[in-house]
Formats: sequence, structure tokens, C-alpha cells
Amino acid sequence: MDPKVNGQLQLEWGWLIAVYLFLGGVGGGAYTIAAINSFLGESLALSTTVGLWIGFPALLIGTLFLMVDLGSPSRAFLAAMKPGTSWIARGTLIISIFMVLSFVHLILHQFTKFGGTADGETIIDIIAVAGIVFAIGTMAYTGILLSASKGIPFWRSGVVPVVFVISATVTGHFAIMLGVALYGDIVATMEPLRTMAVEAAGLVVLEVLAILFFLQAAYRQPDSRESAERILRKTMFVIGYFILGLAAPLILMIIVYRSTANALTMVAIGAVLGLIGGLILRQAVLVCGALPTLNIAGFEFRRIHRPKEPKAGVGMLPPQ
Amino acid sequence: MPRYGMVIDLKRCFGCYACSMACKTVNHTPPGVFWARVLMGEVGTFPNAVRQALPMLCMQCEEPSCLEVCPTGATQKRDDGIVIVDKDKCMGCKYCIMACPYGARYSVDKWESYFPDGLPLSPLEEFQKKAWEEKSGVGVATKCDFCIDRLAEGKLPSCVEACPAKARIFGDLDDPDSEVSVLIKKERGQVLNPEFGNKPKVYYLFPR
Repeated sequence: MDPKVNGQLQLEWGWLIAVYLFLGGVGGGAYTIAAINSFLGESLALSTTVGLWIGFPALLIGTLFLMVDLGSPSRAFLAAMKPGTSWIARGTLIISIFMVLSFVHLILHQFTKFGGTADGETIIDIIAVAGIVFAIGTMAYTGILLSASKGIPFWRSGVVPVVFVISATVTGHFAIMLGVALYGDIVATMEPLRTMAVEAAGLVVLEVLAILFFLQAAYRQPDSRESAERILRKTMFVIGYFILGLAAPLILMIIVYRSTANALTMVAIGAVLGLIGGLILRQAVLVCGALPTLNIAGFEFRRIHRPKEPKAGVGMLPPQ
Repeated sequence: MPRYGMVIDLKRCFGCYACSMACKTVNHTPPGVFWARVLMGEVGTFPNAVRQALPMLCMQCEEPSCLEVCPTGATQKRDDGIVIVDKDKCMGCKYCIMACPYGARYSVDKWESYFPDGLPLSPLEEFQKKAWEEKSGVGVATKCDFCIDRLAEGKLPSCVEACPAKARIFGDLDDPDSEVSVLIKKERGQVLNPEFGNKPKVYYLFPR
């Protein structure tokens, strides 16, 4: 344990919850972009299809990760009992409704000719608009879940949901680009991909600004400074997120936009890096969360920690 | 109906961990779980720094953030103000652990042996494991409940009874003549981090 750490690190939420938050964000982001594109014309039809195929499955898989993390998953049906006060209960409702909408939208879009009629098209449009609302709710929920945690000052910031919504949009965008690059026809997809590359670059710049603002705000607060310092000391965060997850995709997207040749490989690499970056961001924010320093009447209790493992030599059998 | 609370006199506490051990004995908490823990901290700055023990337990808050965030209704506040977890309603999401700024909650996925190297459970550990699973359960949130079983029998919480320095005093905060009320008033009892807004019912008497 680092002797400089005042607060005790949270140890309960790890990779499983990070993947859940990540896939929730990817699903929400991909669906939002797909549904918006569905209103913008035939030229974006492929990205709509790919986005719809990503949205619902991502949410479903993400929920499975949450279920694995639950201590008593057989009682998960009780998760929405207290929406009046609990963000998990509210989130359960939001995600459940979104899952139904995204599933229905996917089925109607892909497997029926429902959209061929005027009435059918109107109904799909209504589903799409409602889906966008709940998709944005899902993306925001993944951040609000953390920002409503009173015990972790690092998360308790209004900027966290903003960062998570932007990151979810970025990762959703990259997921669609990856799908289009992998399954699309090269000639037909390169032009829409160039447009998407510009959008992705803009979103990444927005995410850089949001994350810098978040870290700066966290550093200014005495209770969350420890966590801010800790996250910036993490090699995985600095290299995995900042360099490989943000800077590299940004450069690749600019190259793709400026390139006249076929750049599908570059699109795919940039999208994969961006997706990995989104996962690392969530994992790093989770594992760097620490409890606040305790104080009474202005006296601060330092070097407080609750070791998970016994100290070396304590409780060990004597050497034979 | 009483409103139970506790006063911990930090002037008397010398960090012997008797409260932690008594709690473990009575509540059969597994390794790594300390409902009654003692943190050792440095108070003040040089040259006026002293080493101070800080006994911690669930603060039984008047406005518990764990109760607020619990999605299933497993966390409940009784009429006497004691916050409890209904193990049959908890789904183990651990959100209450994130919500408690005092770090008073735990979740145990598996009752592991106190002894290293994968040794099988001793007969005492088997007994403790069974007792823990019956009362608190695995895969759910757990916390100090002021020893409600002992209170029902007219006994004091185990940590209060075990404290050799009489640093822990337990009683009814609504009774102005109770020892806890008198001490809080007379010695200006203070709560940990009042800025959290949870209104804890565990008060500390701090050396002045």
C-alpha cells in the first residue's frame, strides 16, 4: 500500500462493472447514432443497420457482466423496487425499456417489411425517437451511477456523467465504424466512413476536453486529489487511454479523412483502439475511487487504510 | 421507542482492538470483515502530532446514504434507528458499499479460512461459517447492527461490553438523562465528517 494514500481504495467494483458500464455506453451510443442516421437518408442506411445490430446485443452482454458481478443474481428481479431514491433502480428501468425498444427496432428494421408502408414507417420513427431518449438515458446512467455514490469523492462530480456520455458516443461511433469497415462494400463504404472519421475526430477532441476538465476538477478537491494523482500515475491509463485510446484514433481518423486511397484497415485499427480506450477509462475511474479522509472537528486522520490481504508474516505458518 | 446511539471516548481508547475481537466472536465475521474496526491515525501536524486510535463501526446514520441507494429495499431503518440489511432481499450489487462514506459495509462472496495455504476449515471455523451464513449470508451486503440480537436479550452490543477502558457508551439518544445524551451535551460529542450530511448516531469525544 502506498503510504501516501489517505483514503481507502474501493475494491468491490472492478473489471466486470467496467465492462458493464462500457458495453452500456457502446450500446447506447451506437443505437443513438443509428437511430439519428435513420432519419438522414439512404446514404447512411448501412451505418443504421450496423448500429442497430450493435445496440441491443451490447446491452444484453453488458447486463450479463453485471449479473456475474452480483453477489446474489437470483434476486436481480428486485433491482427496480426503489426508483424513488436509487439510481440502480432507475437505471434498471431505463435500460430495460431501452432494451425492449432497441430489440423491437432491430427486428422491425431487419426482418420485416414493416417500414415499407407509411403507417409502418411512422411507427418505426416513433420507436426510434423514444429509443434515442432512452439510449441517452442509458449513456448518462452509466455516469450518474458513479456520480451518485456518496462514499467516493472522485466519482462524486457532475462532470462524470458528461465524460461518460461523450465517451459512450465516441465508442458507439467507433463500434459502428468498425462494423461498417468489416462488413461493408469497400467502394460504397469509404465515402461515408470518411464523413464518420471527421465526426469521430471531433468527438474525440470533445472527450479530451471533458476528461481534462474532469481530472482538473478532481485534483482541485482535497478529497479526490489522491484519486486524481493515482489515475495519472497508472501506466494503463496514460498509455492505454490517453495515447492509444484517444491520440492514436484521432490521428488515424484525420489520416483516413485526408487519404484518397482505401483506408479500411486504418479505420478498423483506429476504431478498435478507441473502443479499448473507452474500456480502460471506465476501469481506471473505478479502481482509483477512494473513500474520503475522515476528520473530527477539523482533525484529519491520515494513513487510513483497510488492507485486503494480511501483512507479510502475519497469519503465516512458520517455515518448516 | 428508543433511538439508539453510541458515544466513543477517544480520550479513553488506547487501540487494544478488544472491540474488534468481541465483534468477531459474537458475529462470526469472516477474514477481512471488521464491523468494529480500529483505525490508527496521526492527528495534527508537527510538532503537535499525536497517534490516535479511531474505533469505527456503522454510524447508524439518521439519513443513511446506503438506505437511499439500495435498489431492492434490503437496507432498512428500524423504528429504533438501527440500520439493518435484509439478507433475503439483497441482490449483492454493492452500491451501498460505494455510498457509505465511512466504509462500514462489506460484501463476502465466500467464507474463507483464517489460515493460509488452503488449509481446510477448522471445526470452529465450520461453526462460524454456518452461523455467518444463517445470520448475514454470502453474496450480500453486511454491516454492524449494534448487535440487535443481544439488544433483544437486554444485553449491550459486544464491543461496548468488551471495551476495557469503558470508552464506548451505548444508550438512548432521545432520553435526555441517558449517559450518552449527557456525555454528548457535556463533553460536546462530535460526529465524523458532519459535512457528509448523513447525521451519524455514533458520537466521538475528542481530546481538546
